Amino acid sequence: MKDIARQRMSISVETMDLLNNQIKMEAHASASYLAMASWCDQNAFTQSAAFFYNQSVEERSHMMKIFQFVNDCGGSAMSPAVGETNHDFSSLEEVFETALEQEIQVTKSIHNIVNECKKNNDYNVENFLQWFIVEQLEEEKTMRDILDMFDLIGRDGIALKMIDERVTISEGEGETE
Amino acid sequence: MVLVYKSQFYALYQNDAERCYYLDFGHKTVKFSFCQLLALRHKINSISITSHFDASMNKHGFEVLTLCNKSHLFVFNTLEILDLNQLIQQSLLAVGISIPHNAVACVY
Ligand SMILES: [Fe+2]
Ligand SMILES: [Fe+2]
Repeated sequence: MKDIARQRMSISVETMDLLNNQIKMEAHASASYLAMASWCDQNAFTQSAAFFYNQSVEERSHMMKIFQFVNDCGGSAMSPAVGETNHDFSSLEEVFETALEQEIQVTKSIHNIVNECKKNNDYNVENFLQWFIVEQLEEEKTMRDILDMFDLIGRDGIALKMIDERVTISEGEGETE
Repeated sequence: MVLVYKSQFYALYQNDAERCYYLDFGHKTVKFSFCQLLALRHKINSISITSHFDASMNKHGFEVLTLCNKSHLFVFNTLEILDLNQLIQQSLLAVGISIPHNAVACVY
């Protein structure tokens, strides 16, 4: 008996499920950042708005990276349904805190998949996810650095304006990644 | 053709020459490519079997599935869906594309 299934697909169906779940998570992150961008725009935090618009594009590019990988492996990538997205924030600080929390959840999820790959000797996927591990570390640091500014500069009107001016899109980030 | 797995109602065969599978539904046998088999798995996994036990959600306990890019239309009852699910799971294990024990955690 030929190994047709293995000829067609180089990952296990369980790994494919985990990756499809990750696709959903990145899509949700993209939608969530778009909501944050909108909140920042409406509250005149223009730099932060630009930052979140860019984050939103980045998350979509992460989604596409995994999406194409699943199909390249012979699996079937599923176009994700994105559910409700939160648009309510009480402060700029809360926006960035939510962003950091979201990144931490994504990091945990990526680590979980790598963990499963290690257990199942799934070297291809483990190797593929290395890029995401590095990326997540950077993303968490970016959010943490911005949150630190609230402690350093303050939380009143002018402080918020100063923080917003310091929120920049770092070099090399965005669509091209 | 080689038998991959036989459940109570259905059987899956592999055809090496055509590099495809044949699913015997009893009254009808349907040819499946590997991708179509994955698509069937996805459809079955998306079914809420609990809705079959709730008359307000699925009154008659039937599922209508279109298979192989809408080439076929099937109506299944609760037991048939469970059996088909079993067939797909065991078949994917048998062809070595699924991890035994199925103990994959999912965080989200
Ligand atoms: Fe991401
Ligand atoms: Fe991210």
